[in-house]
Amino acid sequence: MPEAADLEQRLVLLQAEIDWPATPALAARVRARIAAPAPAPRPWFQNRWAMAAAAVLVVLAALVAYTPSRDAIASWINLHTIFTRVNQLPTPSPLPSGPLGKRLGLGDPTTLERAQSKVSWHILVPASLGRPDEVYLQLPPQGPPKGEVTLVYKSRPGLKTAGETGVAVLVTEASGTVDTQMFGKLLGNSTTLEEVTVNGHKGYWIAGQPHIFFFIDANGQFRDETLRLATNTLLIDYDGTVIRIEGDLTNAQALEIAASLS
Amino acid sequence: MEGRPTDGELFSRAQRGNEAAYEEIVRRYQDVAFRTAYVITGSAADAEDAAQEGFVKAYRALATFRTGAEPRPWLLRIVANEARNRARSAGRRHQLELRLAERFRPGDAAPSPEAAAVAAEDHTWLLGLVNELSEEDRLVISSRYLLELSGEETAAALGIPEGTVKSRLSRALARLRQRIEGGAHA
Repeated sequence: MPEAADLEQRLVLLQAEIDWPATPALAARVRARIAAPAPAPRPWFQNRWAMAAAAVLVVLAALVAYTPSRDAIASWINLHTIFTRVNQLPTPSPLPSGPLGKRLGLGDPTTLERAQSKVSWHILVPASLGRPDEVYLQLPPQGPPKGEVTLVYKSRPGLKTAGETGVAVLVTEASGTVDTQMFGKLLGNSTTLEEVTVNGHKGYWIAGQPHIFFFIDANGQFRDETLRLATNTLLIDYDGTVIRIEGDLTNAQALEIAASLS
Repeated sequence: MEGRPTDGELFSRAQRGNEAAYEEIVRRYQDVAFRTAYVITGSAADAEDAAQEGFVKAYRALATFRTGAEPRPWLLRIVANEARNRARSAGRRHQLELRLAERFRPGDAAPSPEAAAVAAEDHTWLLGLVNELSEEDRLVISSRYLLELSGEETAAALGIPEGTVKSRLSRALARLRQRIEGGAHA
């Protein structure tokens, strides 16, 4: 009977004898690719979308032309979020089971203090909700280039538990350069998008029919495991840090939470 | 004449936009990146695409590479992610069939002492058992032993936490050992 070390040794010996396919000469080809200008802002989205539709979605969404004004597009870029209108929302596959962080693709559990030591911006906490019950940190490459922090509020008096997340409120914060995309949203015809201002910071209130939400990683890749239905959401740009407040909230409740961020 | 630049020096230069420095990084890591992608996709063509695309994406994400960090796990994570996406979008994975190089196969014309012939036969048989393992077991064993990746690199390649690598590897080895015993190979 082979001992553990013996088996491991035999496997290591195999290594030198494997007939690997010849490595293609990638260096020159990669050099040629990176010398070419970077692709236009989001051409990957169409491809990614096609891939996601095949892999994840049950119903193929019919993408319709959405013609926002130039100003609106600029605002959205500052909010690090790609918005797409669809005629029919796709049905995401069921969320994976397991702990909240894994289910919603939030990253690793941590504490507020540890998360603060890992990210460059000051993490804003809504005073009206108090200290979060759980904190998650997602670093690149899974998260956006400067990381992303999520504060979880499981239940709070007067707030409902959202069916989409299983908790009362999620506050997600991320920071990046102006052209970094961190979140994607697919809005159905019955989802409303309204411009709001919170303490002088511009934002959007997305409400009505649940919309589809997904994270984008540091490589600009849409993380299909995070594609899920999201309930009402307030997005605010706090001087380059985008704050996402999601919950089964009224407009007034969301604005009150946002106004208490400090 | 300066000596060979370190990985750290090359990354610093590449982060400042030096494309030649990045080309050298690709040259240094293309073997391990391509083979890792091959183990994941089971197809040399898919592995080539995944490795090339992964290196291009890594270049565009160089700003996220921390000075002083190990480059191999960082690069392998991006390439392996690309390989997994490809395998997934293809709808099915190719069955990975690792083979021994010609000179190590038993029964070859090259004159070899009896002991070497026995060893070659043993290696062919063992590799056959590895090929027959479940995908999860085969990936972790191939990464750790056949690609000689570190624990951190294996975690990056498989997209799992480093702590999970050890337990997954230990279970995979136990199952391989069962097959060895079941096979009653001399």
